[in-house]
Amino acid sequence: MTENNLLSLIIFAPLAGAVINWLVGGRLKNELFSGALACGTIAVSCIVAFYIAFFAGGGALHAEKPVLDHLWTWIQVGSFRADFGLGMDRLSGIYACFVTFVGLLIHIFATGYMHGDKGFYRFFAYLNLFMFSMLTLVLADNFLLMFVGWEGVGLCSYLLIGYYIKRDEARRAAKKAFVMNRIGDWGVLMGVFLVFTLTGSISFYDKVVDGAKVPSALNMIAQMASDPFTAGALVAGGITSAAILLFIGATGKSAQIPLFTWLPDAMAGPTPVSALIHAATMVTAGVYMVVRCNGIYQNAPTAMFIVAIIGCATAVFAATIGLAQNDIKKVLAYSTVSQLGYMFLSCGIGAFVAAIFHVMTHAFFKALLFLGSGSVIHGMHHEQDMRKMGNLKKYMPITWITMMTGWLAICGIPIFAGFFSKDEILYRTFAPMASWAPQAKLAGIPVHMILWVIGLITAVMTAVYMTRLMWMTFYGDERFHLVLDDAHPHEAAKTEENAFAEGDAHDAVAHHDAHDDHEAAHADDHDDDDEHHHALPADFHPHESPWNMTVPLIVLAVLSTLGGLVGIPAAMSGGSITNYFEHTLEPVIAKKAEHKTAEAPSMEAMKSTESTEAKPLPASETKSEAANAEKPEEHGDAKTELTLAVVSVLLALSGIGIGIALFGKNPLRKLPKILEDKWRIDELYNGYIVDPLTNFSIKGLWQGFDLGIVDGIVNGAGYFVTELGNVLRRIQVGFVRSYAAFILAGAVVVIGYFIYYGFKLIR
Amino acid sequence: MDFINENLLTILILLPVFGALFTLGHALYWKEEKDLKWLTLIFTVGNFIVSLLLLGKHTASAGGFWFEKNVPWIKAINTNYHVGVDGLSIWLVILTTFIMPIAVVSTWHAVEKRRTAFYVFLLLLESAMIGVFVSLDLLVFYLFFEASLVPMFFLIGIWGGENRIYSAVKFFIFTALGSLLMLVAIIALYYYYAKATGGAGTFDFVVLLNALKSGKQLFSVQAGSLLFLAFALAFSIKVPLFPFHTWLPDAHTDAPTAGSVILAAVLLKMGTYGLMRFNFALFPDAARDWAPVFITLAIIGIIYGALVAMVQPDVKRLVAYSSVAHMGFVVLGMFSFTEQGMQGALYQMLNHGVSTGALFLLVGFIYERRHTRQITDFGGLANVMPLYSTIFVITTMSSIGLPLLNGFVGEFLIMIGMWKSTILSTANGWNYNYIATMLAGTGVIFAAVYLLWMVQRVFFGKVTNPKNKGLKDLSWREIGLILPLMVLMVYMGVFPKPFLNKSRDAVVAIQQRVVGQAGGTIDKADATPKAEH
Repeated sequence: MTENNLLSLIIFAPLAGAVINWLVGGRLKNELFSGALACGTIAVSCIVAFYIAFFAGGGALHAEKPVLDHLWTWIQVGSFRADFGLGMDRLSGIYACFVTFVGLLIHIFATGYMHGDKGFYRFFAYLNLFMFSMLTLVLADNFLLMFVGWEGVGLCSYLLIGYYIKRDEARRAAKKAFVMNRIGDWGVLMGVFLVFTLTGSISFYDKVVDGAKVPSALNMIAQMASDPFTAGALVAGGITSAAILLFIGATGKSAQIPLFTWLPDAMAGPTPVSALIHAATMVTAGVYMVVRCNGIYQNAPTAMFIVAIIGCATAVFAATIGLAQNDIKKVLAYSTVSQLGYMFLSCGIGAFVAAIFHVMTHAFFKALLFLGSGSVIHGMHHEQDMRKMGNLKKYMPITWITMMTGWLAICGIPIFAGFFSKDEILYRTFAPMASWAPQAKLAGIPVHMILWVIGLITAVMTAVYMTRLMWMTFYGDERFHLVLDDAHPHEAAKTEENAFAEGDAHDAVAHHDAHDDHEAAHADDHDDDDEHHHALPADFHPHESPWNMTVPLIVLAVLSTLGGLVGIPAAMSGGSITNYFEHTLEPVIAKKAEHKTAEAPSMEAMKSTESTEAKPLPASETKSEAANAEKPEEHGDAKTELTLAVVSVLLALSGIGIGIALFGKNPLRKLPKILEDKWRIDELYNGYIVDPLTNFSIKGLWQGFDLGIVDGIVNGAGYFVTELGNVLRRIQVGFVRSYAAFILAGAVVVIGYFIYYGFKLIR
Repeated sequence: MDFINENLLTILILLPVFGALFTLGHALYWKEEKDLKWLTLIFTVGNFIVSLLLLGKHTASAGGFWFEKNVPWIKAINTNYHVGVDGLSIWLVILTTFIMPIAVVSTWHAVEKRRTAFYVFLLLLESAMIGVFVSLDLLVFYLFFEASLVPMFFLIGIWGGENRIYSAVKFFIFTALGSLLMLVAIIALYYYYAKATGGAGTFDFVVLLNALKSGKQLFSVQAGSLLFLAFALAFSIKVPLFPFHTWLPDAHTDAPTAGSVILAAVLLKMGTYGLMRFNFALFPDAARDWAPVFITLAIIGIIYGALVAMVQPDVKRLVAYSSVAHMGFVVLGMFSFTEQGMQGALYQMLNHGVSTGALFLLVGFIYERRHTRQITDFGGLANVMPLYSTIFVITTMSSIGLPLLNGFVGEFLIMIGMWKSTILSTANGWNYNYIATMLAGTGVIFAAVYLLWMVQRVFFGKVTNPKNKGLKDLSWREIGLILPLMVLMVYMGVFPKPFLNKSRDAVVAIQQRVVGQAGGTIDKADATPKAEH
């Protein structure tokens, strides 16, 4: 066990930044101070994270054991203990590095984007608070502290989505995000309870605190026998149940079916927020947790199967919606949901390393695309509708070129970062490692093959909608003054008037019409601190963004281009280049015996876990070790992998071709309404869950039971008493006294009854 | 110093009474009322400072109580003035003395009429509440329990809102009716003891408990069950447990701010405290038998309270219903009969006192400004009252149970306690303890729904109502009031250890008492985590 007290600096630097900005920034109202403070604290985190990950004591990314930092014991009751302790192993090391680095770039970008905003200091306080939460989530050494970060990022997401508090869709989206996340959090909590009952621990690592040994819950579960691949395992209260409960949490945080609808709405927040929270970092927390718990999932084939199905379904479903959106950020949001689906697909088929690889490359290119869109929106004076853009490459060359690299990366064109990670996932889906894969068949076809085909289709669609986005924005005619006849944001808002999204429940009670306010608010001139689109002047020309916005774009563009090179699959380089990424993460993945022997007690797996863990990095050795632990036929499959790579490149290119063919000449081409309306999922949730529940609460519970039945009985009794009092009053007794008399009489009767029976019992 | 230490609890009870007399005398002599609030503040702050001595050095008596005092009171019926605190009650006493000055200052400009009576009642109420938490003689306990009703009855009935008479009477009838049965049970216990020992009866809780612990059969199983229910009814109404909760929204809504704060922070805790102190210790078998019923009612309360809170048009009523949900958690934790659940329940009592007390305080602030609590009358307050809004949102987060704020620790411990409890059946492959926890857990989701929805409608958006345009942000007095509560919210969320350590022994003793007779199965599971997997 290595200790390094610097770890806590990574999380507390942003926290200090948040607090100082909150307390002092509001008085100073100095953008330079607030911005420098926020960026400076993240820079500190970033430097420390890289230092510990790569340099301190050889670097956490290369060490056998995690670097730990125990701060204090948080909760300790009976056998339950949760420490406020941090740990950096290879997985959290990679996460901490890219989160702080991308976070730093986005902070710098935001100093330009938020320039002139009244709540500048508040924005950066929230942003720093978010970084504190995210890093706590990643660096926590136990489930409960991870949950602290988990909820913390949810809170910050809530605050930042609702940052423009005057905008109705912003506050509505903020609440929706928080509530949907909460539904997921329920799953995490229950999952943690089950893990605790299964192992008696909630720690991620084996550690010693105050002389007491705290075993790793994850290792303990990894060494247990695998659950069978049956539906019954889901509710058996064993490993599979724990895995699926945790996954419910992941669907909330990472916007998977069925809890994905909050993420597109979350685009109501400022664009740097969308880039940081809703693309690069927070939404991948679900993936992080699943990979962190890979020891649990590998023993829960049913859960992995469901993860794969949900991931794949989300990927294709979100992609279809992404095809038809006109808001540039909405397209990117659905694209994010779709890419997250890929990551879960990857986890579900057992390719945990590939999932994290995709998380990282996605962080680069999606942050780039979002920041690029932010730059576009900034240049277009807060216009987000792509139908009103066009030919921006003339005005914003840096934004254009950098976004093109992001576009190539997400489409999966070779050399660019997204290609390697996405291709890895598709290949793994084709040749899965998960133990459920050989057993799951649908009409004779292996399920993973179906998933693979869907994954390919999604890849084509991704290329299509991204091409559409690029062409509508940067090419074609300038449509800055286009008047749209089908604007219907208000209608969309009205459908969501309810407790979970917006509106007034006592619409039903008091018939108060909230819509009037709503309309009035829109009719108002928008206040200047509101990020909202103003009518563009006739001589309007978009402008390129300032340096503090373009420099992060350029850095991210470089990363999107080259970032994938750290994980070139062995098949492609012919084994001549070490797949650094994979070999770094290999020890994090619990080695289970191959699926053929999944039922056998996994002593062997335990041994292999230990032995790989014990190996530091002299690359060649670990490589052969890892290769042995992997599928033996892996090298023979190099050819297959290459063939598949070629196929997916061709599909990506054809997707781009389709995109240009469809939208190159006719960027305003209409797409099916149902896609534009997002399959009406929100309406479905509202109509079948939210509204009935609200009505039931009003009519059934409150007015029916509380006021009707319980109070009815009480008031009836009261009425009876009053009437009796009236009778008694006629026999010249005062009302108050008769009331008292009745109580007394009643009391005497009741007491008498009990005394009678009491004595009877005594005798 | 020794004198103070020996009579610390008596001082705590009598100081407010003395304060009340002093205040009354002052008002009668000087014929003016404007200094009364200062006098009351001095006495309540004084009492708080004295109560901190409880945390100092103490020796435990044979019964496990600290600062114990036992002197004969009415010899004829063998009742003693017997007081003492332990880990269970010590924080509740301090919570009471801590909340009182805040309640007093909250009335600074709010109380216009009959100020003398108001402050006298407040002080008498404090005395009664402390008495409830420290009494170890059942009859004395009962007297304090009932005595606390009277000042609150008047606080609501005289200084309350529109429906104050109705609400006050409802509050009184509900709670008084319940406690009458408890009186019957107390008297029955007296005679049971007399019968079993052949000597005089006793009201002394410690004596009764020791008799029961030593294996004396004071009453039959059925009688024990009946006695348990008689006690439990009184406490359940006080908590309030579903379906006895309907007095609470009315009482809260119509009570003045100080009344609401005290009601939420302290008065409700008498119910849960009573269940844990008396019901569990005296009737462990019945407690186990009836646990499924109480767990069910607690879960219904959690979900029901949340759903009804969601649709309330009045902010204060919303917070009142949220109390029903939160107190449901407390009851759930207690009846899990695990160390985590019971410690969590106790901790949640304190948390609820702090968070909900703060919420009522905050609602009071805005009511003083606008004289309305209807959600639809507000909107966009964050634009005009940024500090108020920030504090309100933080308090809301504490109530929602956001980690690193106090509410989370309690709720988490309660749920994990219920999860690993063995009190419910695990027949047919369905572990009902898990199911109970999962259902209760949905309350955490709903809490986010109703509170954030309210926050969204009250604070966010534009200022649509012109009456809200010129609202002043918090004054220094108000900041000073809310600040201690905010500090506690964070501190209790980040460092719960000192609180939990102090209460551990007492809670474990009660837990052992309940499960011990079942063979201590729960405890064993606790000590050795399942290694056989």
